[in-house]
Amino acid sequence: MRGATERTDERALIRAAQRGDSRAFEQLVRTYDHNVLRMAFNLLHSQEDARDIYQEVFLRVHRNLPQFRFDCAFSTWLYRIVANLCLDQIRKRKVRKETSPAVETANGEMDRLQLVPERRADVDPQRQLMSAEVMQRVNEVLEEITPRERVVFEMRHFQGMRLRAIGEALGVTEEAAKNCLFRATQKMRAALGDFV
Amino acid sequence: MTCHEVQVNVSLYLYGELDFVQEEALEGHLNGCALCQRFLAREKAWHGSVNSGRREVPLELLAECRQELGAALARSDEERKANRLSWRYWLEPLSVSSGRWSARLALASFLVFIGFAAARWMDRHGFPIDNPAGTISPMGLVNPSYARVRDIRPGDHNQVHIVFDQVNERAVTGTPADENVRRLLLAAMQDTADPGIRVDSVEVLKDQNGPDVRDALLHSVRHDSNAAVRLKALEALRPFSSEKVTRDALKFVLQHDSNADVRSEAIDILAPVSRGAGMSADLAATLEEIARSEQENDYVRDRCLQLLRNVNAPLDIY
Repeated sequence: MRGATERTDERALIRAAQRGDSRAFEQLVRTYDHNVLRMAFNLLHSQEDARDIYQEVFLRVHRNLPQFRFDCAFSTWLYRIVANLCLDQIRKRKVRKETSPAVETANGEMDRLQLVPERRADVDPQRQLMSAEVMQRVNEVLEEITPRERVVFEMRHFQGMRLRAIGEALGVTEEAAKNCLFRATQKMRAALGDFV
Repeated sequence: MTCHEVQVNVSLYLYGELDFVQEEALEGHLNGCALCQRFLAREKAWHGSVNSGRREVPLELLAECRQELGAALARSDEERKANRLSWRYWLEPLSVSSGRWSARLALASFLVFIGFAAARWMDRHGFPIDNPAGTISPMGLVNPSYARVRDIRPGDHNQVHIVFDQVNERAVTGTPADENVRRLLLAAMQDTADPGIRVDSVEVLKDQNGPDVRDALLHSVRHDSNAAVRLKALEALRPFSSEKVTRDALKFVLQHDSNADVRSEAIDILAPVSRGAGMSADLAATLEEIARSEQENDYVRDRCLQLLRNVNAPLDIY
């Protein structure tokens, strides 16, 4: 029954936010915002873009919440906004050809995410090197697959969303989401085969 | 299942996205095939590698985002308040640039027509409007609440006959047990326009007894298009859970409802019933069927199996 209670609590929170209760809206944001930011950050490989997506997502939610009628789960609605904004951004980048996750540095070409400071002090250097190589390979594959395959893989593998929910968020059938995931994992398997 | 099929489906297996039958077949094959076991191990390894390459969002970035969002929301609230003082705010609902423009255009045309008609009447007859039939009060036209014109018939001597529905807003206060309040709440549960109103009605009625309340809840559980309303109606049906008609509705939900949360709630309500009153053969059969067919929600499947175990139903088939 815990799940049902949480759902009821969330509904109450949404209703309060719809009436203009800013504390309720803040609580709602804090329930989901870490996941939203993580998803945008890992899809776009850019702190600035992730920051923009974060703000745009929650401003849209704030603007349109009074029209939310509980026809679907709040999380589905929220992730639909996130996915659409990220897809638009990825597609725009593909057109502008500015998407490469690799950037030039004094030490040669490096992945953008590698430039994000590693917080853990006790990281084993060999493991770090291996992890950097894996990450580079993963990012190469993510650049090669279609934007939709990339978003589906992100939602299923990292966010742990069910395929049905992913399909609802992207406005496609569960079967189509499954096919996207299947193609993405095939490419990932082929690329990471040497590391395992 | 062949080795090829296993290797095709193994990723979906790790994600828990195979249905019950496929999962059983795959595990059955894996038990006797060393090659596929190695394939599975490699698959798990690359899943792990992808996870290890994952970077976490810096907490400073999250904190900055929250701060920026707070500031942006404050700005947006101020702008909204400022806009309310502007005449544009009041004309915004008639704007054709945003969504539902056709409805807004129709509303605007209707208002123009009403204004035109009222002006002509006042011009020819003066104010107050002469209305010998007494079916429309002048104030009813000048200050309508919500009106919808159903018929317009021009008559002799520049007269026009208009038939319209008028809705006057009224308020009723009372306990849910009061006859009028109860009748309104039951009607609101069937209101198709606003699921929020339906949820609120169920919330108020949930502590009320009586076959009329039970029947309305059963109707919502079976037919309401909104999952939140169905969920709320199920919660409200708990006091009626020992009645056969309720159990039938719960079985219907388990078999047919498309929403996994609603199915979870139904199985939770059925559980104490089956413990207390013993389990009928048809309920056991339904649970067996659900345990076989439920693919999306492990909780529902596990609960079905648990209930069947409680009554010592044979489970070796699972």
